[in-house]
Amino acid sequence: MWEEYSIGLLAVFGAGIIAFIALVRERDDLHRLLLLDLAEMVSLGIIALLGTDLAEALILPGLVIGIAELLALSQIYLMKEGLRGGSAPGLNIEVIEADAPLIISILLIVYGLILSGFTGGGVAGLGVIFYIMSRGHREKFEILEMTSGISWAVWIVAFFIFMFAPQLWLLALFLAAVGILLKVTVKISLVGTMWGDQP
Amino acid sequence: MIGPVPYYILEFGDELVYLSPFTLTLFLFALVFTLFALLSKPERQVDIAFGGDAYYAKEISLPEMRFRRFMAIACGLASMGAVVTGDIFNFTLFISLVGICNVGIVASVKNRHVQEAAYQYGVVALSATVPLFGAAAIIAATTGTLSMIELWKAATPAVAPIVKGLLVLGVMGEGMAPFYAAKAEMFRAPGAPYVIMCSLSSLLIFLRVIEVVLVI
Repeated sequence: MWEEYSIGLLAVFGAGIIAFIALVRERDDLHRLLLLDLAEMVSLGIIALLGTDLAEALILPGLVIGIAELLALSQIYLMKEGLRGGSAPGLNIEVIEADAPLIISILLIVYGLILSGFTGGGVAGLGVIFYIMSRGHREKFEILEMTSGISWAVWIVAFFIFMFAPQLWLLALFLAAVGILLKVTVKISLVGTMWGDQP
Repeated sequence: MIGPVPYYILEFGDELVYLSPFTLTLFLFALVFTLFALLSKPERQVDIAFGGDAYYAKEISLPEMRFRRFMAIACGLASMGAVVTGDIFNFTLFISLVGICNVGIVASVKNRHVQEAAYQYGVVALSATVPLFGAAAIIAATTGTLSMIELWKAATPAVAPIVKGLLVLGVMGEGMAPFYAAKAEMFRAPGAPYVIMCSLSSLLIFLRVIEVVLVI
């Protein structure tokens, strides 16, 4: 087991060294940002090498912190370069302007609901992003934020059930799964709409 | 741990917080400076025009001030977390939070040079998460625990020095804002109490990582 771990560690460190060499050689700021995402993957790889459920629990916060830093840096990049993205008008393709995006995103969302949990959230969020990208976005962010808040509350309730009434674990499990599904869906669809009309 | 046995250990689920004289001191420092950031008004910088006796004061707009104050307080909270937590992975998470907040404090200044410096610092902070998280994961892999109380008991296998080096490297990268003092733009940014928070949080996390490295 130790040998496998060492080999994996060696491979990941090799990847890390390659990523950092690329980072050093790159001069363009935007490309540096993209390479940083690559380097971030290396740290997730080292965590994943643990290979236990602890690794899974550690990857999530690591990933969230990485994404948060990446979003913050890209905002700074936009400000620094004085870039103002115009509002995204939607794709100008005949099929996309018909009902195709609606059907595809409904399929994705339903499939996401069946999967549930983190993966399901990802799939459903992809469906929402696809719909928003093909339609342009003028949707109400308040609703997304409210959904996010509700899912958070559901998650906390589930957490408390786990803590104080462990015999109801199945209920808590389902609540948590629904909560994280909503949460990830909303998060991903927000990320998809973050460019666009900044004041 | 530096100093005597911790006299207060709080364990709640995954959370592990302990107070020893060392961590308590650092915590109080962070608390006091967070209160300062909460209460004080931003300094108004004065520039002197060369060749005459004129000077002009830089105005700080209210939204900018609010944002930087928020970031400074968030930075204070993150450093408080980083100095009292007894869980290695939570420690690394708090450290990277300190890094983001430091970037945010500086980046809110509407000045191209300052934002350039903030961006470069952000690049360093983001790449520092690799050795930081990597070290935490390897510590968990070699010792089987992330709790500093467990690690202190000396029954756990020793962590390789290079892993400790990685951890320190990560913390240095995240808290390197003061080292950017060479980039004068970063500290010429107006708004005194908030920039102090960058230096203070870096100092606190450097002090804390010494303890962590001694324990593991």
